[in-house]
Amino acid sequence: MANNPWIFITGGVRSGKSQFAERCAKALKKQYESLVYVATGVAFDEEMTRRIAHHKRLREGEGWLTIERPTDFYLLREHIPERSVILWDCVTTWLGNECYEVSTDGMPAWQNEDLLQNRINQMFIELQMLHDAGHTLIVVSNEVLDAGIPNNEETYVYMKNLGRIHCEMVKRADVAIEMTYKATTFWKGATIFEKYMDRDWTRFSIFHDRTDS
Amino acid sequence: MHIVIGGAFNGKKTYVKQRIKSTWFDGELPTAPQTGNVVITNLEKIVAKNLQREEQQVALEIAEQLMVLDKQCAQLILIVTDISRGIVPVDPLERQLRDTCGRLYQVLFKEAATITRVWYGIAETIKKGDGWQ
Repeated sequence: MANNPWIFITGGVRSGKSQFAERCAKALKKQYESLVYVATGVAFDEEMTRRIAHHKRLREGEGWLTIERPTDFYLLREHIPERSVILWDCVTTWLGNECYEVSTDGMPAWQNEDLLQNRINQMFIELQMLHDAGHTLIVVSNEVLDAGIPNNEETYVYMKNLGRIHCEMVKRADVAIEMTYKATTFWKGATIFEKYMDRDWTRFSIFHDRTDS
Repeated sequence: MHIVIGGAFNGKKTYVKQRIKSTWFDGELPTAPQTGNVVITNLEKIVAKNLQREEQQVALEIAEQLMVLDKQCAQLILIVTDISRGIVPVDPLERQLRDTCGRLYQVLFKEAATITRVWYGIAETIKKGDGWQ
């Protein structure tokens, strides 16, 4: 097993996943490592500005290097310090951003499935490369696939691709966690996670490792 | 009868395809007799054709047909997309669909030998009887 875990965390809205992910990152960070926060949000209106400010305030004074990378992950690597714990929050916002990237033909990516697929593949190539280079990865996403499949094509494309990303993420990650209002369910890698963490703050968690079932 | 349930696009089909060779039916019951393994996906499409009638009756009728099929074929696997956890739909027909599916799934869950929940490709057994794997 590598010395740098790849952790995937999902959960509903306000399930505490961002906070949990940040605690993970701080707990995993070794002395010589940098804490890197990859932010995906674009402050396009007043509400988003407020939400971004809220997350920024939470991280203030904790030594985070924040990199804003709403799309195009290939631009990320040159900004990452040599040894880092990288927290990416979150996949759902990122995918939304990528869906609306306009291609040369003037169409948003969600209307061109090959283009969107390429962008997703590119993201995985970058993440894998960062992980192979020895960085610790913590990826945060949302649970939005439990309310049926919509008739609306735009939402359908988004959901289908998000589902595929989550499946691939779970496959590649060492640890996969589902959060329900701060309770954690370990679908994969509970023992790996336990090894890395101080037991003191995981004792309140629900430890189900379903990898073996 | 075996049920594989999970949210949309969680890898339910892939999970089944990797484990058993079957004849697949999308949103419909087979019309010809089946003796091999049968997988039925998108049960809600079958329910959607019957929204004018009382939900419990529709649920029982569809469940009955599935139970007959289950006795005929080798293994019957139903792939169920959980649609019960979202906001109540504004459209009355969508509400009716969700309610009737719920009734149907309750009956099927009772009948099924095994129930497997799939979360992004990882399986959790939530009812364990004689398996198909």
